[in-house]
Amino acid sequence: MNKVRSLFKARWMSSLIFLILLFLITGIADPNFLQYDNIISCFNSATMYTLLAIGIAFVIMTGEIDVSIGATMGLAAAVTGLIAQQDGGIPRMLITCILIGVCTGIVNGLGVAGIGVPSLIFTLGTNSVIRGILFLTSGGRTVENFNAPLAGPANQVLFAGVTTYYVIAVILVIIAHFVTSRTRRGKYFIAVGDNPGGANLVGISTFWTKLVAYILCGIFAGIAGFVFASKYGQVMTVAGNGYEMTAIAACVLGGISLSGGLGNMVGAAIGAVIMSSIGRLLVFIGLSSTYNNTITGVMLIIIVVVDALTQRRAIENARRKRLLSRTAEGGAKA
Amino acid sequence: MRTVKKIFARWETFLVLFLVLEFVVFGAANPKFLRTNSIMNALVNYISVCIVSLFVTMVLITGGIDIQAASIIGLTSIIEGVLWSDAGFNIWLAVLCAFAAAALCGALSGFCVAYCGVQPMVMTLGGSFLFSGLALVVSGMSATPAYQGISGFPSKAEDGSFVDFRFLGKGNIAGIPSQIVIYLLLIILCVWILHRTKYGERLYLIGVNQQAAEYSGINTRATIMSTYVLSALSAAVAGTLLTSNVNSAKADLGGGYTLAIITAVVLGGTSNNGGKGSILGTVLASLIICFLRYGLPLCFGVSTQNLDLYVGVILVAVVLGREIAGRRMISGLFRKLRKKTA
Amino acid sequence: MSEAKKALGSSLMTIRGVTKAFGTNSVLKGIDLDIAPGEVLALIGGNGAGKSTLMKIIMGIYTLDEGEIRMDGQPVRLGKPAAALSQGIYLVPQEPLLFPNMTVRENILMGFKEKNSELQKRLENHMRELGFTLNLQRKANTLSIAEQQLVEILRGLMREARMLILDEPTSALTFGEVQSLFRVVRDLKARGISIIYITHRLNEVFEIATDVAIMRDGLITLQGPVEHFTREMLIRGLLPSDAAVEALENRAVSETAVSGKEPVLQVRDLSGYGFSDITFDLYPGEILGIAGVVGAGRTELISTIFGRDKVLKGKVLLEGKDITGLSTKQILKEGINFVPEDRHYHGLFKIRSVASNTTSALLNTKEIGQVDMNRKKQNAIAQKYTDEFRTKIVSLEDLLGSLSGGNQQKVVIARALSTAPKVVILDEPTRGIDAAARADVYKIIHQLKETGVAVLMVSSDIEEVVELADRAITVFQGRINAEFRKNEINQDALTSASFGIVKKGGMAG
Repeated sequence: MNKVRSLFKARWMSSLIFLILLFLITGIADPNFLQYDNIISCFNSATMYTLLAIGIAFVIMTGEIDVSIGATMGLAAAVTGLIAQQDGGIPRMLITCILIGVCTGIVNGLGVAGIGVPSLIFTLGTNSVIRGILFLTSGGRTVENFNAPLAGPANQVLFAGVTTYYVIAVILVIIAHFVTSRTRRGKYFIAVGDNPGGANLVGISTFWTKLVAYILCGIFAGIAGFVFASKYGQVMTVAGNGYEMTAIAACVLGGISLSGGLGNMVGAAIGAVIMSSIGRLLVFIGLSSTYNNTITGVMLIIIVVVDALTQRRAIENARRKRLLSRTAEGGAKA
Repeated sequence: MRTVKKIFARWETFLVLFLVLEFVVFGAANPKFLRTNSIMNALVNYISVCIVSLFVTMVLITGGIDIQAASIIGLTSIIEGVLWSDAGFNIWLAVLCAFAAAALCGALSGFCVAYCGVQPMVMTLGGSFLFSGLALVVSGMSATPAYQGISGFPSKAEDGSFVDFRFLGKGNIAGIPSQIVIYLLLIILCVWILHRTKYGERLYLIGVNQQAAEYSGINTRATIMSTYVLSALSAAVAGTLLTSNVNSAKADLGGGYTLAIITAVVLGGTSNNGGKGSILGTVLASLIICFLRYGLPLCFGVSTQNLDLYVGVILVAVVLGREIAGRRMISGLFRKLRKKTA
Repeated sequence: MSEAKKALGSSLMTIRGVTKAFGTNSVLKGIDLDIAPGEVLALIGGNGAGKSTLMKIIMGIYTLDEGEIRMDGQPVRLGKPAAALSQGIYLVPQEPLLFPNMTVRENILMGFKEKNSELQKRLENHMRELGFTLNLQRKANTLSIAEQQLVEILRGLMREARMLILDEPTSALTFGEVQSLFRVVRDLKARGISIIYITHRLNEVFEIATDVAIMRDGLITLQGPVEHFTREMLIRGLLPSDAAVEALENRAVSETAVSGKEPVLQVRDLSGYGFSDITFDLYPGEILGIAGVVGAGRTELISTIFGRDKVLKGKVLLEGKDITGLSTKQILKEGINFVPEDRHYHGLFKIRSVASNTTSALLNTKEIGQVDMNRKKQNAIAQKYTDEFRTKIVSLEDLLGSLSGGNQQKVVIARALSTAPKVVILDEPTRGIDAAARADVYKIIHQLKETGVAVLMVSSDIEEVVELADRAITVFQGRINAEFRKNEINQDALTSASFGIVKKGGMAG
């Protein structure tokens, strides 16, 4: 029992150990990797994935899924670019990005929590719709030629090689972690995913909780869109395509269960770093980047299979122990 | 009367009406839409989604989901190319090997889902990364640069018609493109498997209630695993046809089809909670999407890059409508029951 | 003592004339009950007596049809759980509803609006007063059932509960855990908190209850301070009225001749999860009843025989052939079939047709086609059973979910018989179905017996065992504690043995 307990306690911790191991293995293959610059840029380049992962983590914690975040991010990025072309200020861009996220979040939340469409199917639909809107707003062209104020902050280093954007992302991770694990209402996300019936019994509304989760998810995707535009300086109509799968994978790597009710934000952030570092690590190990997806897939599969097996064994053992204790008592009396 | 009512209550009827409506509207807007050749061309362009969605339907009927099939399309394509051009295999032997590899991929995911209890969505997400990654690795083994694609497959006979391997993707049988003939054969096969065999019956029973299926003596785990193998094999078929059609083996063929495949299955009326759905529904839904993608640019000048918007709008509208209508039917049923007991 | 309190009119909860019916099935027929502060009321009664319905009404999950409930003499409306909570009523369910992935502290404090530090202080107070030592940082899924119950009790106390309902709290506890639970109950009693204690175990009644009430057929048949009763009096109270007992016992006893026949099923020293050292024989043309209370291990026993769980020790022989540990698929092929207890979870395919459901166990045989599905044969088989069992359907295409409970059960039985088994195992064959369907099911079982099929029937309805069984065994805490021949089977003996008191003809487990 103790073993199981410590295992569950350390879900995000094991992701962190995994990340460190990856770094060390790479370091053994090529000691050059273990330079400060290299490691820090692994983190810096994880900014977008981090934002997307903590956003979708809210939704996954409640036991749902959102595959429209890639499109939301692309839309926000394109709109940011259009504002930049008109010399709009950064506050205006950020507010617009957040509003876009709120809107997509409300639509997804109402469809899933309000009307009860299975979340994968519904967000699959909104994914196409949002990407279509992106196409219409950008006129089907790549949005580029931004003004300097947008590109500037992307490479701005705040301290010790850490970019401003990553610092902001880390602050958001800490806030999100604090909210979901320490505050009364923040815990509702996990509670709803953990045991919807039990949540209802103590007066938690699953509808509102899920709606808020989708809105937060949208907002984070919106902010990620801003970062995308700022970082790459051009936004194609397919921008953000496939990012949703990477974000989901980051959550899974970070120990968040896709059935909901398990995991935390720090784990998601670590998962995001793992996902964005793999390519860089492979270069140092001496494999070409073509191995990127293979390694990701192998890692994901091993983690989810081990996780599923240990969870199932824990449940089965508990059941068997309970049943055995019944007869043990009868035997004692007879 | 009862049967008439029943027909109208069926989802497939709605889909047929929708398809007819499409033809009427598009045909009226631009008569070119109705040209047989163009229609067949449109279908050939979308054939991968059509074929794979047939078998993914079976996965969903057992209560699972498969988002890895699209990545297997590219994997089979590149395996065939590399084995044929770099390893010097006979092309048909290469195809056979690619099918075996695909079956293994499906078996891996199916095993983890059925026997280890991994959620299907997570497992096949991992699978999609792994298999698309493996495709790139295989592609790296070839002397041909990955972006170029391996081409020059055995093709033309002296009279200029397509034979051998390329006949699959380019040939004609009685004036009908061979791809469409294969699709038709697969539809018949799937209808037979799902609606006419004991295996198909098992799939439905497992999807409705896996526990009860176990009590009926059905080996639910092996059956669930087999659906993933089948869907992987269908992806291999699609990959082979695509390779033959474009005369190029590439690792990223079929890359963007994942969501399209799921959309076709779901729009076809298959529930992702399992136990519900039909091949006919999936076929109709994939045709609807296919002709929408063909008709909108042709008749209304919609940009081909922005077709997803309309398909997405339709998907959202349909699932919302179905959910709301379904709920009304259930509340109506309750009202009836209450009246009975009162 | 409690009578004196009641005379003073200091009753905490007063229930008067409460009735409840589901459709035409009346479950509560006028319940009167008083609970005083600090009283521990043991509520006992057979399955289907209406205990859980009454508790759900008190908890506000169901609304009552007639009658009233007063708290402190004031009538209250308990329409929803929140209302009951605000009246200080808290139900500790048999299977606690915790958040498995959250810590104990989070589980207890979830949903409160007050400040955390304040809550923490209150929680610590409660724990100190009760002497609980529970690590608040542990995850709920690592807790034993006993610990989960403590968490639920703490949840109730944090909500200022004045009355706790404990629903069979000891059914999944070990001996030591039971003792510590009793200590908690005594402490709560001393603090003036009332407790309704639902149980199947008579010795517990005498150990901790101050008062006892017996429910039977939707009525409280007996209530009073526990010192006024003996064990035998309680068992008599659990039985139907004397007239009914006489009528049952006067029926002609015709023993089925099994002597000289070889047993079709032999179970030898079988142990598994939830039962141990089970030995019995089952003869062709015989109905063997297995009685006992819920949780005694009967369902675990028969589902293990059917290949659903692991055998730890012992053997199962079918016509002399060892079938221990085979898979369900193989066991079906060998000639055993099963009607599960939980129809909805293990039996039905709700959105499939009657025909599909009836023939679902035949998919591994050639009777409905080789590879292809022969719909004609399938329909013929389904039609045969619906005719034979008088199942009310419009057509064979009807979805099973649209049928009534009784007709659903007939289809599930048809599925079990479709494989022409030598042994049929029935688990609670008439649970939740109406009287007419019940009579039909009894007829089916009798017909089976006449055709030489061996029937193994688990039932918590003692009357059903008396009515049908040729021989009966009772299972108590995972072991067979008594065996009865046809002429020894009566309500009294079976009930006593189910509650662990073997009177006659028994062989001590």
